Amino acid sequence: MHPLGTCHCGARKARRIQIMRVVIVGCGRVGSLLALRLAGEGHTVCVIDEKPSSFERLGDDFNGEMVVGNGLEGATLRRAGIEKADCFAAVMPGDNRNLMAAQLAREIFKVKRVITRIYDPIRAAVYREMGVETICSTVIGAGLIHDYLIDGVNRGDAVAGAGGRT
Amino acid sequence: MNQRTTPYVIVIGGGKVGYHLARHLLDRGYEVTLVEKDRVRAQWLSHQLGSCSIMVGDGDEMAFLATTGIERAGVVVGATGDDEDNLVACQLAKRKFSVPRTIARVNDPENVRLFKALGIDVPVSATELLMGLIEAELSGSDAVKGVAVKACGATLVDVALPELSSLVGRRVADVHLPGGDLVVCIVRDGLPVVPQADVVIQPGDELIIYSTTLDVESVRELVTN
Repeated sequence: MHPLGTCHCGARKARRIQIMRVVIVGCGRVGSLLALRLAGEGHTVCVIDEKPSSFERLGDDFNGEMVVGNGLEGATLRRAGIEKADCFAAVMPGDNRNLMAAQLAREIFKVKRVITRIYDPIRAAVYREMGVETICSTVIGAGLIHDYLIDGVNRGDAVAGAGGRT
Repeated sequence: MNQRTTPYVIVIGGGKVGYHLARHLLDRGYEVTLVEKDRVRAQWLSHQLGSCSIMVGDGDEMAFLATTGIERAGVVVGATGDDEDNLVACQLAKRKFSVPRTIARVNDPENVRLFKALGIDVPVSATELLMGLIEAELSGSDAVKGVAVKACGATLVDVALPELSSLVGRRVADVHLPGGDLVVCIVRDGLPVVPQADVVIQPGDELIIYSTTLDVESVRELVTN
């Protein structure tokens, strides 16, 4: 192949991977895993947590930002750069906190893509109806375990992606 | 019979605010259900409030809310100390149970805007109310005693007019406040006077002004000039 051709092809490919600015509230197991994976993919990541010790989960090589503060406060969210964020993930321990943070991101800061982790299946469904994008880890977890038990197929690996084995 | 004239009110959160609110509403003849998560606290509440129906449960759980008779509630009040819990309880009440009026206690004043945007009918910020009162006290001018009540993005300012105010001698109809702000009441010799168009403002009058555009200081400047 012509060297220029491959070069062009590479440039096009690189352009296709859009770099996202992501704000994550909650640096627990889910938040930290998500932050590490996104940062590893080259996205610009900022994680918010009230407890500075939570950031230890990110290890020493994490190249994103860390903000100590309450993810429900406008001032904290602004410090985390929410005004320029493309995506927002709410993964704190409480469903209501996540729902409020998500709606704050959507309604006040106009973030385009906002995803909320919810434990309670009913709440997840109600808010999804209201236009808040929710992922119910309870329903998904139960579904995966069900399928593994009955069909003998572990679909968890496919869902987990690169971070699944850690 | 009672239910026709006064709405059934569900108060979520049996802390200090919820408890005193429930007691006040019961005294005024409302039918009230007070929802409290903590069993021990709920026991104490039922000792204090007697006739009031106290229910132990999560005010943000759909299944639990369905057992409170919420479908016939006229008002749901989110009165817990956590803004996110009040928000979710009120949103569920509104969206899933079609409760006509939801009132949420807002602890962080910055959330008032969000709550309004999300369809909560009345976000009440105690912090803002206190700030308004303290601000009025601090200004301490004799000519203009102001009591400002800030809530829901509007300010209620109580101003005692100085004798030299340009408003003295004018008819209410000729008082033009910016942004459609209104004189909602005149207090004359300690008695309220309905501010009809022909009422002439007199020295010593106290005006209660409802403003959505100005802060206390600006309203004060306006009427003192």
